[in-house]
Amino acid sequence: MSAKTAAGTVKERAELALNDEFLRKAVKFTTERLRNGKKNASAEHGNWDEWRERGRQIRLHTIAHLDYYLNLFVENARANGVHVHFADTGADAVKIALEVARRKQAKTVVKSKSMVSEELHLNHALEGIGVEAIETDLGEYIIQLAGETPSHIVIPAIHKNRYQIADLLSEVAGEKLEADTTVLAGFVRKKLRENFLEADIGMTGCNFAIAETGSMVLFENEGNARMVTTLPKTQITLMGMERIIPSFRDLEVMATLLPRSATGQRMTMYMSAITGPRRTEDADGPDEMHIIIVDNGRSLQLGDPEFQELLNCIRCGACLNACPVYRHIGGHAYGGTYSGPIGAVLTPALNKNVAEWDDIANASSLCGACYEACPVKIPLHDMLIYLRRRKVEKGHGNKLEGAGMKGFAAVMGNAKRFRAALKMGQLGQKLVVRDGGIRTKLGPLKGWNSYRVTPSLPKHTFRQSFATLDQEIREGLKEMSPDIRARMEAAVKNRGNAGQGGGHGHG
Amino acid sequence: MGDAAQEHRQWLEQMEAASRAKQASFMDGIARKLKRPRVTEAPAHPLRGAPDFWNAFELTPEERIEKFMSNWQSVGGHPARLADMDAVRKFITDKAKEMGAHYLIRQNEPELAALDLEGALPEAEVSVWNTDADVHWKARSAEADFGVVMADYAAAYTGTVTVLSSKDKGRSVSLLPTVLMIIIPVGRLKTKMGEPLAELDRAGRENLPAGAHFISGPSRSSDIENDLTIGVHGPGIVYALIVG
Repeated sequence: MSAKTAAGTVKERAELALNDEFLRKAVKFTTERLRNGKKNASAEHGNWDEWRERGRQIRLHTIAHLDYYLNLFVENARANGVHVHFADTGADAVKIALEVARRKQAKTVVKSKSMVSEELHLNHALEGIGVEAIETDLGEYIIQLAGETPSHIVIPAIHKNRYQIADLLSEVAGEKLEADTTVLAGFVRKKLRENFLEADIGMTGCNFAIAETGSMVLFENEGNARMVTTLPKTQITLMGMERIIPSFRDLEVMATLLPRSATGQRMTMYMSAITGPRRTEDADGPDEMHIIIVDNGRSLQLGDPEFQELLNCIRCGACLNACPVYRHIGGHAYGGTYSGPIGAVLTPALNKNVAEWDDIANASSLCGACYEACPVKIPLHDMLIYLRRRKVEKGHGNKLEGAGMKGFAAVMGNAKRFRAALKMGQLGQKLVVRDGGIRTKLGPLKGWNSYRVTPSLPKHTFRQSFATLDQEIREGLKEMSPDIRARMEAAVKNRGNAGQGGGHGHG
Repeated sequence: MGDAAQEHRQWLEQMEAASRAKQASFMDGIARKLKRPRVTEAPAHPLRGAPDFWNAFELTPEERIEKFMSNWQSVGGHPARLADMDAVRKFITDKAKEMGAHYLIRQNEPELAALDLEGALPEAEVSVWNTDADVHWKARSAEADFGVVMADYAAAYTGTVTVLSSKDKGRSVSLLPTVLMIIIPVGRLKTKMGEPLAELDRAGRENLPAGAHFISGPSRSSDIENDLTIGVHGPGIVYALIVG
């Protein structure tokens, strides 16, 4: 996997996103829509936690026996007539895909949404050998025209409004298109129909692969993935090595969890199980089918007790929609192919270079909303802590922060030092306190004071006031008004009676 | 072309040899990372499929029809319940006339042949999938106004229809026409999607079709400003006709 797709730190990229008001609103609106959809769909279906647990168990079981199930899948897919390839790295996968395209003398490749292909930057590589790669998912098509990358795993063009989209499509059409959703989608339908029928190669990702039959399964709403797997003569499927589940019965559980978690749908409009190329007498479907099984850092999680469960991910995007950080900064701020909580963990994990990606592990409030949302219960918030720990262990910690923490420990660990520090603070702050608050953006105060006001230290500490406070409270109790006292005594008496009556049945 | 085809076959064979060689080391690598020897026997998988409470869940035939129809309607599809295949013929011909459909394509199945749409719609052109080797069937489907297919299964709880491909049943027929008519004999309407899925397991690899498609409504997208658009790539108008 190549380096970051966007420059700078997560902080700089988030700053850009936070200053783009449309983006912020669009992300907030979309994620809320999807999140509420998921909540309703899972509540309507009922027993959601039992389904999650079953989904988790199936994924855990498959990954724990991945060598068996992947091997079984490969044998069955081959028996179906599929050409199976293995790619240790993204570069290997690209090489195989390009070789197929060259051998087929392909001019155009139509693609349906595939996160693996984004991970490999395959479109760019295809263009390099003169092959036109066309994204056919409506959202992906739009961002391809804009020359951008997806900002959401399920709704990739979340960050574009219809006027921007109308401008992009008008350029393709050679005439001004109205900024109307139906008009724009209608234009794309017509335009891409020609591409589907003429393309030499169809390229897809893979949501699930069925080990026992060698089938690959795709979930979608538009029908473009069906087009891509039905019309061109050659099909190439890029599949992460962990996409396996044992059987079609297990697929029922995934089909229950995935659409509801992703978009709140009972079911996506299409689910297709493709088992090999077309049969000899069939009149549609590909003549030749390739499946490229991609590792590209996935196997690094195997046998790692802290991160193996990452491979259970079914790429629904529910953690993005639930994440308070993602909802504010959007997908591009994460800088990698995968965004949101899953991206914050997956990107450094796949790349094995914690140092380069350390900052996105900090783009989290550790609230655990991602875990609550996850249909296969991946403890993403715990993993973010593991990542931070590993970063420090590898010596990539922030030196200033480390020194600061040491100093903090030294001061807080000793009452005399703490008192002395407070005294100094109370005296020193006189220089900077205005209207009861500290507003200066000097030194370490900049990060906080850019958007907030630091409260000043009070004149008296809690400890200093404690003797007086204690005295006041004692006096106050003595001076209790007679009716309050009567009520309290009655309450105590009642409590005693209830206990005797055995009302709570603890006897 | 003969030479090129030969050369291509040779290349595929080379790639296959390389893939088989790589396969062992790939799987060994996984086992090594999992810190145990290769697993070569099927492991026990007691938690296969849906939870027990779900497998026991069953709707009555009448509930299934009601549930399927309300689901189909809720995603923008058009459900109808018809008494028999004569009513189906009338329904399709009426719709074809109403919408001005000129080109129809249907799967090559006896139930559909018995509808005699050709006789009922003399001014329209009705094609039967894969009945003439000289026709480009994918293009023929793409230009069709109506596609007419039989459902192999349907599941009420999610409002899903299953269509399986074969030489007589094109995948394109349920995908490329503007309007899709799916006929569901009431006996094929099950409660849960797990039922047709279990059928695929039962059939086993050798007997599976190249394409098994689960359709739950019209093609749709919310990719532009979250605004729902129907009929983005696949059929936007989808009728589910429950018969019997």
